[in-house]
Amino acid sequence: MLDKTANPLQRRLLESERLMEETGCYDGITELRLRRQDPLKFETLHTKLRAYCVSAREMARRISASPGVREVGEMVVAIYTPEGDAIALSNGIMVHVHTMSRFIKWMIRNGYEQNPCIRDGDIFANNDAFIGTVQVPDVMDVVPIFHEGTLVGWAGAVCHELEAGGITPGGDVCLAQERFTEGLFVCAEKIGENDEIRRDYVIRCERNLRMPIYWVLDEKAKVAACIDMRESVKQLIDEVGLEYWQRLSKEFIEEGRRAQLARTRQLTVPGVYRGHTFYGHVTEGKPGFQPLADPNWLYNIPIEMEITSEGKIRLDFDGTQPWGYHSMNCTPAGMDGGMFVTLTQHMNFEGLVNDGAWMATEINIPHGTWTNPDNEMAATATSWALLLPAYGVFQRLLSRGFIARGFVEEAFVGQVNSPMIEMGGTSQYGTGFGMAHFECAAAGSGALAIKDGLDTAYVGWNPESDMGNIEIWEQNMPMVYIGRSIVPNSGGAGKYRGGCAFISTWLINKTDHLRLVTSEHSSRVFDNGGLCGGYPAPTCEKHHAVRNSDIHERAERREPLAHAPGTDPLLSDFERTYKGEQVWEEGPYITRPHKAGDIFSHAYNGGGGFGDVLERDPIKTARDVENGFLTREAAEKVFGIILKEDAEGCPQADIDATVARRAELRKKRLKQAVPVSEWIAREKRRVEASDFAPEVAKMYRSAMKLSPRFSREFKEFWGLASDFAIAGEN
Amino acid sequence: MTEYSKEVINDLVNGALPWPQTRRIMSAYKDDDRFFKYLAVLQDRVAWSDPILLPVGDRLFICDSAEGRLTRCECGYSFGDYRRNWKLKAVINVRDTEESLREIYPNSDIPDPKWMEIREFFCPECAHLHEVEAAAPGYPIVHDFEPDLEGFYRDWLGKPLKDLS
Repeated sequence: MLDKTANPLQRRLLESERLMEETGCYDGITELRLRRQDPLKFETLHTKLRAYCVSAREMARRISASPGVREVGEMVVAIYTPEGDAIALSNGIMVHVHTMSRFIKWMIRNGYEQNPCIRDGDIFANNDAFIGTVQVPDVMDVVPIFHEGTLVGWAGAVCHELEAGGITPGGDVCLAQERFTEGLFVCAEKIGENDEIRRDYVIRCERNLRMPIYWVLDEKAKVAACIDMRESVKQLIDEVGLEYWQRLSKEFIEEGRRAQLARTRQLTVPGVYRGHTFYGHVTEGKPGFQPLADPNWLYNIPIEMEITSEGKIRLDFDGTQPWGYHSMNCTPAGMDGGMFVTLTQHMNFEGLVNDGAWMATEINIPHGTWTNPDNEMAATATSWALLLPAYGVFQRLLSRGFIARGFVEEAFVGQVNSPMIEMGGTSQYGTGFGMAHFECAAAGSGALAIKDGLDTAYVGWNPESDMGNIEIWEQNMPMVYIGRSIVPNSGGAGKYRGGCAFISTWLINKTDHLRLVTSEHSSRVFDNGGLCGGYPAPTCEKHHAVRNSDIHERAERREPLAHAPGTDPLLSDFERTYKGEQVWEEGPYITRPHKAGDIFSHAYNGGGGFGDVLERDPIKTARDVENGFLTREAAEKVFGIILKEDAEGCPQADIDATVARRAELRKKRLKQAVPVSEWIAREKRRVEASDFAPEVAKMYRSAMKLSPRFSREFKEFWGLASDFAIAGEN
Repeated sequence: MTEYSKEVINDLVNGALPWPQTRRIMSAYKDDDRFFKYLAVLQDRVAWSDPILLPVGDRLFICDSAEGRLTRCECGYSFGDYRRNWKLKAVINVRDTEESLREIYPNSDIPDPKWMEIREFFCPECAHLHEVEAAAPGYPIVHDFEPDLEGFYRDWLGKPLKDLS
């Protein structure tokens, strides 16, 4: 057994936590003395640290071979205290700033000071979400920073790897149902010494990944970034002195904590906020899934947020579903990461955010649920599937606070899942390959409270959304684009509509074996929501593909091609145009391999809407129809906007007809609607009879079993006896 | 201290402020006097005179009235005591068939109505659509927001509300 008294860093970590507990301030820093003494110097040094991070990340992106890192920026770097708390960070996938913090603390708590030892020049790596990351492709590297023999901090970097060596190709290993099929794990491992990555580690990567060039060069990029930051920090300490640095770094974090509390008090209203979302997981009939549990699952994700009078944000996931034999589970590190990245976007966008912001929050993730599995063999490779909808709810809850307080320009209906494509097999060059396609980084955003959402320009996990260049993606996969277009109506309807998403269509090219897999794709339910009367975005779109298509013959005959499935959900333009085997697939796309001549399309998601649809500006709507963001049918049926054509045949709002149509629709609303009390009385009979689809009934039974509060509130709402139970067995 | 005129706040709230100006407001330090200017803008918008204490939706407000603190629609309809879920006094339309879902999603794939329904909560007076819930059948109606109204005015704004007792 390790002698814990011989671990000074571990003692320091425990001491830091004790001081926080006792004083309520980070590491017992009750006064920002350095800031008071010389605020200009304080701010200058903070900005300097931030600049070290931004500069190191940009340098590293140019070392990487991965289009995910080079093009899309799937990377973040940060500087930490010796105890593993983030002081400063770069832009990029900021979700990992706090997950890396957990990784460092995990090593400290687990006696790494004695074995394998923490020395100058060491490199440690991790992609185990139960230690500290979100999912298997998020591989992080940290190096200790020593100054004249004293550990003064850590430099860390994360890249999202495009290939993780799992049961299905790519990084988000959709088919993984347990840890053992997720891919190559590096569990808080010392992978290098003296600033050099070990050869045997590289060999392991080369022999266990479908496309090791991405992972291995990303390792070099991350190590270079860490060394760059390390040397900058050492130089800074030479300038300001060790004692000053040690106090300064802690004051930065305490300042971050106080800033977050103050920002909450400035922008929101104290109280209790509630919301929910759902996710449909359907695998029935899909090849490859082991029969470890029921194939189909409906997830409810209720969230209660309390804003205390101090300004602390408390999130509570009580009432959600148990973890399962699928890849969408999340660990506490991932849940923290989701909170952190959301806060950085909504309340700490000035660039000086650090772990202090996270310390001003609390989160209840019930043990045994997907948010905190009680079995560390659970797979987490596609945890974003549930994380994104969950933190989309958090964004809506915060936004209600912004609206109440008057900061309407900050209110935002929230992020959506933007399903990813993973692929592997034989490349167009005849070699083995594996890759994740990251154009999904440009989904539609939720609407704002004062304008439409961003079209094809937002995802929750990377605030610098970038879809990359088509030409670069085409170099890396055996498919060529034959279409990429806006998906009309993909933003939720409302006074302000959600941002629209896009759809890509590819011709599989120069391969006889291409495995295509998608993930983070909800089935049968929308996994987002609207706000203040806005509707959810349609986020359960099906995949369309054509096997053995006649596209080459059509092209030779110079006949028109279909470049997208079109706007008829019951008969696609592919079916109208191409001969071949037509494929419709709901949820994750897992099928037999494709080959040259097949056509595959994949739609991303738009965001939810804001406000009553009947208040939408008719002129703006006419422009939307002209530009393909809305269909004429939706404009009339959903928004009540009548369009005519101008002299050039462009849609033009008919204001008088619109006013009349909307008056009719308002009358229709009141005619159709019933008092809520009446609906509750009717619906109660259905609940009493447990008259639900099997998956819905199972969802209720699971939630009630795990959460006495959910059970109590459910029965109270419907006026049911305390011993009521939903019929059936889980 | 950052400060904007009531006219600017009015345009901002109504989505009528030019984007470059809106963008500057988003990037700037926040204006600490926003809340009461915001209330004044909203008060001008409603036809009734009960003072608005807190907006809780796009056209939904907690106001002070002779009957106590109520949740009111912009049209004046009262949803009752602000501490109760206003939705229980609304009228509801539930889209739980493919046909009714298709009305809102004419060109997209729709949820399976056995798994999810769309609930629309309207004002019984003016038919304004105040909130939409997308939920599994049987899911309790959510009470979206229970503000700590007293604490907000007392501790955060430094202007305690008058004691109702």
